[in-house]
Amino acid sequence: MQNSNKTPGVSRRQLLIGGASLLGSFTFAGPTLAWAKDFEDTPLHQRFMRLSQLLVNHRLNEGVGLRIAAFAAQKHADLSGMIGQIVEIAEQRDATEVEQFFDAIPEGELRDLAYWVIAAWYSGASSAAADAEPFTYEHALTYQTTLDIVPIPSFGLSGPNGWSRPPAPLMPVPRF
Amino acid sequence: MSMSIRTLTRVLAATACLAAPLPLFASAPAPGDAGTPDSTLARGAYLATASDCTACHTVPGGQPMAGGLKIESPVGEIFSTNITPSTSAGIGDYSEAEFSEALRHGIRADGANLYPAMPYTAYTHLSDADIHALYVYFMQGVEPVDEPAPETQLPFPMNLRFAMKAWNLLFLDDTQIEDDPRRSAEWNRGRYLAEGPAHCGTCHTPRGFLMQEKDGEAMAGAQVGPWYAPNITPDLADGIGSWSHYELFTYLKTGKLDQAQAAGSMAEAISHSFQHLSDADLRAIAIYIESLPAIGSTANADGKVEASAAHDQNRFSHGEASEALASFRGDGYAEGLKGDSRGAQIYSANCASCHQPDGSGTADGYYPRLYENGVLGDDNASNLLATILYGVDRETEAGGHVFMPPFGEQSNAFNSLENDEIAALANYLLGHFGETDEAGKAVLEVTPEDVQVIRDGGPGSPLVMLARIGMGVGALVVVLLVGYWLIRRRRRF
Amino acid sequence: MTQTASAEVVIVGTGVVGVVVAEQLLDAGISVVMLEAGPRVTRAEIVENFRNLPLGIKGSASSSYPPKPWAPHPMPRTGNPDEDYLQLDGPDAYAQTYIRYAGGSTWHWAGTCWRLTPDDMRLNSRYGVGRDWAFDYETLDPYYNLAEYKLGICGPADPALQWPPRPRSKPYPMPHLPFSPGEEKFTRVVKDALGYTNLPVAQARNSGTPYDERPACCGNNNCVPVCPIGAKYDAATSLKRLEEKGATILSNAVVHRIETGEGNRIEAVHYYDPERQSHRVTGKHFVIACNAIETPKLLLMSADSRNPNGLANSSDQVGRNMMDHPQMGLTLTLDEPYWLGQGPVVNSGIMETSQGDFRAEHAGAYFRMNNFARNRYETFNALKTGKVGRALDEEIRRRTACTVNVVAAHEILPDPNNRLTLSSRKDWLGLPKPHVYYDVGDYTRRSADVYSMPIARRIAEAMGAIDVKEPTQFAQSKHLMGSTIMGNDPANSVVDTDCRAYDHDNLFLPGGGAMASTACGNSTITMVALAFKAAEALVSQAKGA
Repeated sequence: MQNSNKTPGVSRRQLLIGGASLLGSFTFAGPTLAWAKDFEDTPLHQRFMRLSQLLVNHRLNEGVGLRIAAFAAQKHADLSGMIGQIVEIAEQRDATEVEQFFDAIPEGELRDLAYWVIAAWYSGASSAAADAEPFTYEHALTYQTTLDIVPIPSFGLSGPNGWSRPPAPLMPVPRF
Repeated sequence: MSMSIRTLTRVLAATACLAAPLPLFASAPAPGDAGTPDSTLARGAYLATASDCTACHTVPGGQPMAGGLKIESPVGEIFSTNITPSTSAGIGDYSEAEFSEALRHGIRADGANLYPAMPYTAYTHLSDADIHALYVYFMQGVEPVDEPAPETQLPFPMNLRFAMKAWNLLFLDDTQIEDDPRRSAEWNRGRYLAEGPAHCGTCHTPRGFLMQEKDGEAMAGAQVGPWYAPNITPDLADGIGSWSHYELFTYLKTGKLDQAQAAGSMAEAISHSFQHLSDADLRAIAIYIESLPAIGSTANADGKVEASAAHDQNRFSHGEASEALASFRGDGYAEGLKGDSRGAQIYSANCASCHQPDGSGTADGYYPRLYENGVLGDDNASNLLATILYGVDRETEAGGHVFMPPFGEQSNAFNSLENDEIAALANYLLGHFGETDEAGKAVLEVTPEDVQVIRDGGPGSPLVMLARIGMGVGALVVVLLVGYWLIRRRRRF
Repeated sequence: MTQTASAEVVIVGTGVVGVVVAEQLLDAGISVVMLEAGPRVTRAEIVENFRNLPLGIKGSASSSYPPKPWAPHPMPRTGNPDEDYLQLDGPDAYAQTYIRYAGGSTWHWAGTCWRLTPDDMRLNSRYGVGRDWAFDYETLDPYYNLAEYKLGICGPADPALQWPPRPRSKPYPMPHLPFSPGEEKFTRVVKDALGYTNLPVAQARNSGTPYDERPACCGNNNCVPVCPIGAKYDAATSLKRLEEKGATILSNAVVHRIETGEGNRIEAVHYYDPERQSHRVTGKHFVIACNAIETPKLLLMSADSRNPNGLANSSDQVGRNMMDHPQMGLTLTLDEPYWLGQGPVVNSGIMETSQGDFRAEHAGAYFRMNNFARNRYETFNALKTGKVGRALDEEIRRRTACTVNVVAAHEILPDPNNRLTLSSRKDWLGLPKPHVYYDVGDYTRRSADVYSMPIARRIAEAMGAIDVKEPTQFAQSKHLMGSTIMGNDPANSVVDTDCRAYDHDNLFLPGGGAMASTACGNSTITMVALAFKAAEALVSQAKGA
């Protein structure tokens, strides 16, 4: 769980690799800066990972990102453009952490997308609904915030009867 | 015309092999206290523990030493005998000389030979004093049980016990072990225990075609039914040369290190025998084992590990924490079982709860990590497959009752996995946690047929068939010769 | 219609009651065929079903068990009566989560095993309400012992921690599981502030040892909906063993009719297979062990000319007296961490509040701090605050550590108007869906007003709660009881003291439906005790016949 260096690509999700429903070329509404051109040519999921990394400053699993991106692409016709806009805001502020640029994301579609991306990584699902799309369970970040003391249900933290050790303090949040 | 069953190949039944507590002194004081009758009895009990008599002579949950345990050997089923002092069903009538003959030479009181499933080739090294103490223990410290054990009926020609006489002539070295004055008292004690009561070579030394332990290959590793007793010589690459002395001591005492956990027959040996020996005796055994000639790729012809062998690769050094969750998580179980994610899906559903999704086990090591683990990193998949099929059951004072459920056809199987499922799972495990080549591909590959072999109790021996063929050919030759001689005689007249 | 199977005893249902009865019969040398409406599944599959659920629905007990079309069971309610299986009516919804799978609902139970107390069994003679049981606690005690050893129930040895508060006739097979630090804190708080004792709950979970050759509990905290390692007892673990002992177990076999014959004895049962073909199964004795919705539904569906009101129903009580443990669950926010989620999901409880003279006026209640890890309940709440980054991490962690679910589970009295009938809506096989009218009644409502909720608030205060969310309505505990009620008088009871139907002497109906009172504690252990008692009578009867 902590170490996810081998995540084979999701071959089933052909959607992302040259799928017809994806945008073939990504054009931005905004000014064409040098960095944007580079960004423009990378596959959608890599760009989505770039966005995710800016919004969620933790180790993120690429395979899970692929699933979230594929789902988002189905919901937003201009996902790529939206990603570009949010990333641009972050870059304009030289931001490496979400706190440094989140307030600058305009309310409405973009901010909703940002919140949705964060929620997808933390909850591992596309929403709180019963029929939400599951993206991950083991990699859902909500569990990482408490994994020093609370197991991810169905993955106990110790051998038998090992849960009466003194608990961790409330803060800080463990690193993940 | 030699046939023998030497290997202790026991297919572990689904029932947990609870350590039947030895009567009287299960963790007796260390031997060396001579003299009083009480202490002889205690010493005998301790030696019986060290020799692990109970592992074969007590059915799990049954009366101690009453026999009846079915031992699957490559040549057939052998039932252990009743060695309680019952005069009707056990050895109550044995004199000490007869007791000694059985232990040292494999000869019953009625003169018949024992099969070397009874490791008399090791017990032959027991001293007179120890034989005496064992005798006292078995006659006075064990409850007589008047129920006879089932008779062993091996297939022809293995049932011709007298053939063991020839085998013994060839292979039984019944010399007493003399202390080596150049070595420490501890080393000598360790050798006595390892070669005698603890009979390590019985499992760990490879055997020849006639199933005798091979000279010059002591402890270099051997198949024991579905399990593999690995190389425990000090070779850095192929043995346990990478272990510290304290690790080997700890392993004998608890059956558990981060990189190695005892299962199968070794779990039984730890639970019933090693964990009850004194710390001094365990240290002595460790000292002796560490002094054995190294056999493997870092050893030279003299059995020494090459000074230049800077070796960091061994069966305990492979793999790393890793997982393939994204290839199936969210798709549904049936979907996950298809295609490339099959092994990963089976792992998640059956193994990850305890061994964790990335194979790192729990922080307290109760559920072991799967990378840098001797079972996954070995070049023989027997232990991996046997662990999956038969589970682990090991109970020590230090480590508690360690239990992994089986995945075979047992009624308590967590899930009865098919051969192809186990093969897919094993290949997933070997790919992630085993030895891989430069391309990242597992060096070892498991097929469903490999799984079936382990399910069947391990590779069988062709000895029975070959012996029969041999005898048939021999008989035919005799008939032809006699016939030729008769014809020639007639022709003369 | 084909004759497919036959045995001396036919058991319908492979839940905990069915498998316990089956094993007693098999051990006595009596042949058994078991019919299960739903599928036989592996633990591996269910564990993965759970893990694949989106976070928002992971708290739903039955969602990891998608029903087969031919064996529908209650799933999270849509409100559309054509989609929902249970047709519910009345001021309180009798929502349930039982599943029709081989192994039954113990797949997803919490494993809680509170025995009844002697007073629980004499409500009428002691308090003038409800019904007395047809026998006393002493009679049931040996069967409770059998249940504890069969299921592997761990519990405290300390005489001061016993429930019922009296010396045991036999020790628990395993010592109780340890408390987590949060539970230790809760125990201290309720003792110091309110004088209550938070007892370690007797639970069907392997404590520190592989009892019954199943692993020991290691705190996966997933008991509901499925124990990923089988440390919690569930009836599915018995199935292979039963087959080795000679049982025939047919799954995907939906019994839809019980056939009577001469003397109104049961001759056969009929089941549909997934192709809607009907099959007839004969035997000498019959056990319907489908618990308190499916059993009365089947009895009513089997109405024939001899039994126009449904089988076993000359008392007109079949389907009546539906009972459960109405519960109120409070969510507390505390200013210090309790860290729920360490250990099993229910590990302790305050039972003394279920007993007392007040039961002449209102229901008793038992209180427990539910030990489910809070991430799934709090994550979306935290996200809704709009926090991001470090603030979000801290918010999730704080809520997970500092919110607590305290549940008050109440008893309820049997009311003939709380009733199961056959709906006119049909399921996939064309069989009537069950319809249940339910009203928890004043006896229980008064308890919430004057007793249980005031206590709950005092507990919350003692814990230092900075926020308390109280429900406005009772939820159900999903413990089915009452609908084939036991009594000494056939005029007002369906079964006798051995759970034998008064109307058909070779028909046994052990399970929750036979329970004459609910008390406050979960019903399974009492159901299993009744199963042992019924099996004993059935073995005698089968051998004597």
